Amino acid sequence: MTQRAVCSRCESPLEAGDLRCAICGRAAEEHARSVARASIQVLRCESCGAAVSYDAKVGAPNCSFCDSVMRLEELVDPVEQTEGYAPFRVTRDEARAALAAWLKRQGFFRPADLAQRARLESIKAIYWVAWVCDARAYVTWTADSNEGAWRSAWAPHSGAVQLAFDDVLVSASRGLREEEVRALAPYVDLKAVAAEPSVLSDGTPVALETFDVQRSGARRRIVSAIHRSAAHVVERDHVPGTRFREVHTSALLESLETRRLALPAWVFAYRYEDRLYRAVVSGGDARGITGKLPFSLARLFLVIGAVILAGLAALTLLPILLRFFLG
Amino acid sequence: METEQLEIRCDDCGATLTMPAHRFAAVCPFCASPSVVDRPAGESSARREPPDFILGFVIDRAEAERRVKAWIGRSRFFAPSALKQAKVHSVEGIYLPVWLYGCIAHSQYEARIGEDYTTTESYTTTDSKGRTVHRTRTVTKTEWRELSGTHASYVLDVLVTASKGLDNAELETIEPFDLRAMRRYDPAIVSGWAAEEATLSRDEGHELARSEALEFIEDRIEDFLPGDSSSLQHFDSRLSSEDTDLVLLPIWVFAARYGPNAESLRILINGQTGEVQGKVPRSIVKIVAGSLLGLLAVALIFLLGLFALGVIGSFL
Repeated sequence: MTQRAVCSRCESPLEAGDLRCAICGRAAEEHARSVARASIQVLRCESCGAAVSYDAKVGAPNCSFCDSVMRLEELVDPVEQTEGYAPFRVTRDEARAALAAWLKRQGFFRPADLAQRARLESIKAIYWVAWVCDARAYVTWTADSNEGAWRSAWAPHSGAVQLAFDDVLVSASRGLREEEVRALAPYVDLKAVAAEPSVLSDGTPVALETFDVQRSGARRRIVSAIHRSAAHVVERDHVPGTRFREVHTSALLESLETRRLALPAWVFAYRYEDRLYRAVVSGGDARGITGKLPFSLARLFLVIGAVILAGLAALTLLPILLRFFLG
Repeated sequence: METEQLEIRCDDCGATLTMPAHRFAAVCPFCASPSVVDRPAGESSARREPPDFILGFVIDRAEAERRVKAWIGRSRFFAPSALKQAKVHSVEGIYLPVWLYGCIAHSQYEARIGEDYTTTESYTTTDSKGRTVHRTRTVTKTEWRELSGTHASYVLDVLVTASKGLDNAELETIEPFDLRAMRRYDPAIVSGWAAEEATLSRDEGHELARSEALEFIEDRIEDFLPGDSSSLQHFDSRLSSEDTDLVLLPIWVFAARYGPNAESLRILINGQTGEVQGKVPRSIVKIVAGSLLGLLAVALIFLLGLFALGVIGSFL
């Protein structure tokens, strides 16, 4: 691996073409600049040799004689590209079996015949895209908590903590919903990331989702995801007491490193009583499974009915019991 | 081989500009003062540092002129008539030097945090029959508690002027600039355009930027405090890893001056977004005339009233 340029203030890696660090704003060092392009110092048109001047319409120096435009080093904002692929480890049949088992496992409020009557409409192998990030963060926080409260229910607290984030997964997928990503994230295996997508032995074609955001937009989403994770960790581990509100965090992110990965999944569409539902099985580990399920209204009414009956029974029995015990 | 550059310095507003020789102007494009001194760009440009970044013009001359005309058309009644008739073709595109500042801020703060609670209190009042009665009611009260702690954040993209010709407050009127379109400085971009030299030193820019950064941090800490209400008592920031880069920003300037002693008028157009701002001098003649007219109208109404009373009185 080649030596990568790193921001001298926050130690986040800089990418080719970065004029400034995306995290802390410091200007890139000279050696990082040279990666991009040699700048043009001669104010003479390269095509015809006439003097040139900058043209606001073109946004670049423009030769008025031959109309050629000079190229300048500017902030590059390319669309993100996938860097690696996590391998498919779950075969099509294993994914199907996992789905069938999952449908059987569902709770009381699901229709009893779900596993038998759910009809599979389609099975697709896809690679969905996500950013996987490592970062350090010095997080300062304040919050109200019930700990140490006087007359009010709340007392103010503050603190600072150094946190390290490893493999924070930020979805870049438009195909998968946020809750599906949350369910699959724990089963993503990042150890065996390959340079090429897996080829399935049974010949199932794998659909590749591509990143469709630009670098600047990607960084905004990644940074806000890390800030959210930091706030979550602070709420969970650092605010004292059992209840809290008004949790504020301010963080210094450092060494933010991002990998742009494609992650495997099996996407199922199944039909139950004329409605389509979707389930997703992680392609790396079949335990990762999530999806929409039909809800059994019949069973819900059954429970409500039972509760009402029990209530009525208690009301009628109560006087009898009272008489029995007291009388 | 480079297009010949001339340097001019305005004795009035202190701006120093390098201009292409063919665009040499006898008045300062910044304040329209005629007291400009020209000298060939040479020894002075050798010792100054080159800018780090530059934002290119997006708004071209025709668009800038159109916007200035529209702005003057909308300007107030009391503006001098000469302004409304002013020819706008003297609008000048200038690269304005600014300092772009950033740092890491570690702050210690002390604050008072108000936590609300409700309590019942008894009070005495008189009822509808005039008797004194004791009642209770629920009231919300606030208990104030001390909170001290630390706040850490990056301060990014603070822009302060590097030009004596244009103060920071005036720069702020045409902000913001979208810094994502920034480029590495390249002399090719300023070719054919006037560019002002940084006349405020890096240290002066640093001081200015620091105070702006502290204001920013203060706002951030105020937002950061918990509680139903809060007041920041004191904070102390340590700014480290500070950077000050020199950036050229694109602005169109329309400067005009009416009479040798008149205050100069300046309209600025953000060369990236097209935002127009300016201070319009008020014409003394128009203000006096306007006030006199107003007085006259009041007097007329008063006389009319007297007359009407007299007429009614004569009937009674």
